[in-house]
Amino acid sequence: MTTKDIGPKNPVQKSADATIDYVDERSGVKTGTRWFLFRNIPEGTSWFQTLGFTAMVVFGMQAITGIILAMYYVPDTRGGAYESIQRITEEVTWGWLVRGMHKWGASVMIIVVFLHMARVFIWGAYKYPRELTWVTGAFLLLLTMFMGLTGYLLVWDQKAYWATVVAVNIFASAPIVGPYIGDILRAGPEFGPATLSRFYSIHMLVIPGAIATFIGLHLYFIVRLGISEPPWSKRRLRIERDEEDARREAARERAKALPGAVTYPATWPAKAEEGVR
Amino acid sequence: MKPADKKAYDRDYALAKKTGKPFFPYAIFKDTIVAGLTIVGIIVLAIVVQVEVGEPVNPATTDFVPRPEWYFYFAFELLKIFANQDVLTPVIMATFMVPNIMIILLVVWPFIDRGPERRIWKRPFAMGMIVIVTGMLCYLTYLGANSPAGVASQGLPVGGLDEAGTAGMQVFMNNGCGSCHMVAGVGAPGPGPDLTNFGSKGWDEAKQIAWLKAPNPPMPSYASLPPADLEALATFVNGLGTKYK
Ligand code: HEC
Ligand code: HEM
Repeated sequence: MTTKDIGPKNPVQKSADATIDYVDERSGVKTGTRWFLFRNIPEGTSWFQTLGFTAMVVFGMQAITGIILAMYYVPDTRGGAYESIQRITEEVTWGWLVRGMHKWGASVMIIVVFLHMARVFIWGAYKYPRELTWVTGAFLLLLTMFMGLTGYLLVWDQKAYWATVVAVNIFASAPIVGPYIGDILRAGPEFGPATLSRFYSIHMLVIPGAIATFIGLHLYFIVRLGISEPPWSKRRLRIERDEEDARREAARERAKALPGAVTYPATWPAKAEEGVR
Repeated sequence: MKPADKKAYDRDYALAKKTGKPFFPYAIFKDTIVAGLTIVGIIVLAIVVQVEVGEPVNPATTDFVPRPEWYFYFAFELLKIFANQDVLTPVIMATFMVPNIMIILLVVWPFIDRGPERRIWKRPFAMGMIVIVTGMLCYLTYLGANSPAGVASQGLPVGGLDEAGTAGMQVFMNNGCGSCHMVAGVGAPGPGPDLTNFGSKGWDEAKQIAWLKAPNPPMPSYASLPPADLEALATFVNGLGTKYK
């Protein structure tokens, strides 16, 4: 008796496959995932190239812990904000941990983003064709710092309050536009309930939305252009060595082709380079 | 980059990709390890250095010396360095132009440095830039972390307060004047001058209000305060060291 491949017999698996195929036919998810996951990247990518992904994961963690905090937080200055923070820290199960992770995560994210930027800068990874990747990244850095500024006030204790007064004063001291920026941030001439609501909404809705959008753009560029190769990858070093050898060979050829008197000086560059090696 | 350089790069990168490896699992593997360790690190920090709940907000006291979050230390120190310079040009240069030029440079950097060279040791200018800028940021942050903390106390230790004086002191504290000025040893020792004996300068109320509305940077303008608050504040500041001491 010969066996014929008629696909899986299990009706559950069969219908699952059919469903996936149905969705893929219309949305391209399967193809898209494959394109995303199994695209080639240059060999020998470095550990330094994990920092962008790490920044993204920390942002994800901030989003999740932030959502949990928002379930308990009350943005009200007249008895609410401070008390809800107190409740989260002292009563809510694991509340202190979630708040601690969110607070430390903010500092860690700024450090990670800065290190990521330093690696991109040092490698020259912002050069053609990745200029716009860098521009979207620069906005991500600024947005991340704004996230820290607006989040710090929400705790509504003395330290948070005064730190924010100082930070807003820094912005407000800019010439011409400064006072307007100050008024916009404070939601009026003085700090008060409206300031807290404003910071809450900026911190919870405006900036996270902007960061998510810019991360989307950033990733689109990265996947489209491919992650850059370390400037000292084995392949690059080999190519550079070959080019060097070819150049030296050419110099030697040139030297041979020249008549006696000029021959000697013409070999100098090649000789000098050999000496250097 | 010249078109020829772009073509050469595209060709070279296509080669690198062809002889490369799939993103999954090679890159994802490293990414997951580093990201995972970072998250574990954050959790450990959160457990070891637990968050606290500070004193509730009380805008009427200076028992706390105002300070920004650590990643804004550098901006605050910048204000201090360039404070007390005279009118417009140098001050605007320093506190407004320097940070904004840095932000603009950050955004447009790839359009400034367009050469095809990527090797570190062949780009001394770019490397010099990052060393200087990073060094400066670290130094300013260090200064901020170690700056004389200022002196805190409950209220300002000035006597002889009448009704207007008390109201003015309240406005003074509510608006964080103490984060830049010291009065009778309370507040931060900069960027603004010590105001303990300001009254001896003999400013009248109109002059003080005009100053508060349009001061020299880096002092922010308080033009949007309610007129009554401005008047009380002017009375208070003008009386420091004379009426109120
Ligand atoms: C961001 C820091 C900052 C804040 C906040 C600030 N100042 Fe100033 N202030 C300064 C600086 C810097 C100067 C010096 C400016 C100059 O002379 O060019 C100054 C100057 C002054 C002067 C003039 C001193 C003199 O001897 O000429 C007065 C008065 C004054 N500030 C009052 C106030 C009051 C009142 C407040 C709060 C409503 C306040 N300042 C908030 C930074 C600040
Ligand atoms: C929230 C902040 C950020 C996130 C989540 C993020 C994410 C990423 C990720 C996942 C990569 C892939 C390669 C890698 O991991 O190194 C990447 C690459 C890149 N990032 Fe970011 N990034 C952020 C901030 C920045 C900043 C501040 C800059 C610079 C101003 C920047 C510029 C770049 C560039 C130019 C690349 C391409 C590098 C290459 O191909 O080698 N990014 N980013």
